[in-house]
Amino acid sequence: MWEFLGGSLSLRIAVTLSLVLTVILLVFIFVATNVLRSDLFSTRRDMILADAAVRFSQVQNTLDQSTAVTTDQVQDAVTQTLTAIRESAAGAGAVEVLLLRSPDSSEAFRINEYVNPEYISVIGGGIRDELAHDVGLWQSVALANGADTIPGIIVGALIDVPYAGPYEMFVVYSLEQEQSTLNSIIQVFTVGSVPVLLLMGLVSFVLVYRLLSPVRAAAGAARSLAAGNLSSRLRVSGRDEMAQLGATFNDMAESLQSKITDYDSLSKLQQSFVSDVSHELRTPMTTIRMADEVIFDDRDALPPASKRSAELLHVEVARFEQMLADLLEISRYDAQSAQFDPESADIYSLVEKVVSANAELADHLGVEVQLGPRPERCSVPVDAIRIERVVRNLLVNACEYSEGMPVRVTVAAGKTSVAIRVRDYGVGMEADTVRRVFDRFYRANPARTRSTGGTGLGLAISKEDVTLHNGVINAWGEPGRGSSFVVTLPRVAGSAVTEFPLIVWEDHA
Amino acid sequence: MTPRILVVDDDASLAEMIGIVLRAEGFEVFECFDGAEAFEVFESCDPHLVLLDVMLPGRSGIQICEDIRQVSNVPIIMLTARSDTADVVAGLEAGADDYVPKPFKPKELVARIRARLRSQNDAGEEQLVLGDLAIDQSRHEVRRGDEVVPLTPLEFDLLVALARAPWRVFTREELLEQVWGYRHAADTRLVNVHVQRLRSKIERDAESPSLVITVRGVGYRAGTGS
Repeated sequence: MWEFLGGSLSLRIAVTLSLVLTVILLVFIFVATNVLRSDLFSTRRDMILADAAVRFSQVQNTLDQSTAVTTDQVQDAVTQTLTAIRESAAGAGAVEVLLLRSPDSSEAFRINEYVNPEYISVIGGGIRDELAHDVGLWQSVALANGADTIPGIIVGALIDVPYAGPYEMFVVYSLEQEQSTLNSIIQVFTVGSVPVLLLMGLVSFVLVYRLLSPVRAAAGAARSLAAGNLSSRLRVSGRDEMAQLGATFNDMAESLQSKITDYDSLSKLQQSFVSDVSHELRTPMTTIRMADEVIFDDRDALPPASKRSAELLHVEVARFEQMLADLLEISRYDAQSAQFDPESADIYSLVEKVVSANAELADHLGVEVQLGPRPERCSVPVDAIRIERVVRNLLVNACEYSEGMPVRVTVAAGKTSVAIRVRDYGVGMEADTVRRVFDRFYRANPARTRSTGGTGLGLAISKEDVTLHNGVINAWGEPGRGSSFVVTLPRVAGSAVTEFPLIVWEDHA
Repeated sequence: MTPRILVVDDDASLAEMIGIVLRAEGFEVFECFDGAEAFEVFESCDPHLVLLDVMLPGRSGIQICEDIRQVSNVPIIMLTARSDTADVVAGLEAGADDYVPKPFKPKELVARIRARLRSQNDAGEEQLVLGDLAIDQSRHEVRRGDEVVPLTPLEFDLLVALARAPWRVFTREELLEQVWGYRHAADTRLVNVHVQRLRSKIERDAESPSLVITVRGVGYRAGTGS
């Protein structure tokens, strides 16, 4: 229930207020009816006592003036008197009159008791004992009324019956009238409080709901802001706390918007700069490249110094071109303008293709490249050009540093990811190198120098390429034991890698 | 006959360098450094192929491409410094047959030029029929009834490649190899753009093509025309 209400502060407050009000009303009804009850009771009791006193003295007077002498005569007189009294007292709420022989009486002369068996039971022993010593006592009793009981009062007095001595006379009064009055009052209270409660709940809900409307508007605006609608603002009116909230929110949104617009324009500037540099550098690069090819092709016709120069120029132009391409690629990542259009590709075939494309280089370096067996189901959505670039980069690096030892390339498929491992058994890497191997332009210790000059950006780009696929690239190496690089790609484009089908280093298992 | 090639590039050094390389390969080369003059030079020298830089002062390569396509089906190869932007697609849509991203190797450029020139020369003798189209390979002509459907040589080659094996689905890579002469995988946008252009010329309703059918996830195949 509370969880259900958790979503709406207004509803929660309305329910809480209603519950509190219910308790207050219950206490009020309880106290009020109690006060009323005792008030009604004491008023009625006083009336009853006054009425009873009159009845008793009437009976006593009548009996005192009676001329009856025989038992039968006395009996008749008593019966007549009591019957008359019973009828006349009915108007005052009396329901029965009884006359019992006092248990203390020792007179031999006795008359029949005037008794209604229905009521005899309500006259407890207590009042009779006390009556022996006193006059005009009363007691609260419960009178049977069908299945229910109704409150009543009995009043007793000792009556001196001629010749027969003291008899106990009781008048039974019913408080049915008072009880029903009280009941109707309780009923009115209870029935009346239900609409009050409902109204209270409703009113408090509406009030709080309206009070909270700026908060709801703020939440909506914040949501819209988070969704990228930077121009979303709150309408602010008045000067209360809610208006301050709105104004502060608007200030925040304003500064956020201007910051983001700044960054946006900076980023656009950066992108167009990269693009411009790309165009400006590529055209002269093309000319240089073509001139270099022409000179290089004719190098045999040149004198030795010029020929060697032509060869050096050729190698360095190629390197320069690669560096330019790498720089542009990494700036594209920095400008976050790298596009990612994954298409399902068989990773093993992709690796196979890269291995055979680089067979010549491996031969040249005297390195045997061993490609592991084909795993089942190794298709993954990838940008094939990028992943080929990553594999080529790792493979060429491994061949460069393997010192003639074989290079092992393994592809493995897991349930949610596919991994490629390129492992060499050459010079290896220091711990510091392992940590920084993906840094831009990072050069490891002199032991790790290469024959063909790299650009220093290859692994940095590989890491970006893999990250673009939401993949993970890990490296490990130990001096003298070689290096290992593992690329793990998720099977579902965009989901994170949670499973690693290949471990980076055998000791890490 | 020496093939004539028009090189349009505002960078004089590059245009001259390309001239040196192409002359060494036995081509006759005309150079133009200004986009505004390109069309005049084109009309005066009537080249067999045009190399066109995308970014030009005066008139952009894309506009020149459109101008030339108004009057000629000559092969056009764009030279572009921005292979990763919309420029390439815009150039192809304007009617260029192929593009070479800068910086390129001279051999690569020559290979691309030869691939485009060859397609005009070594046509087969077969008469092919695709739907309601009659393809006359020797005359390099496509007819619908009595009406000639004008196609560029590249579009013609693309249509012939598909029509020769109507039962077969070609991947974009296969078409790149067969029609463009690429040995390695290249930009498959080339295929997509030219299939669109081809459809706009031969299909009765380019929105629901019946002659060149897309096979999702694979490539294209010839349709029956119905």
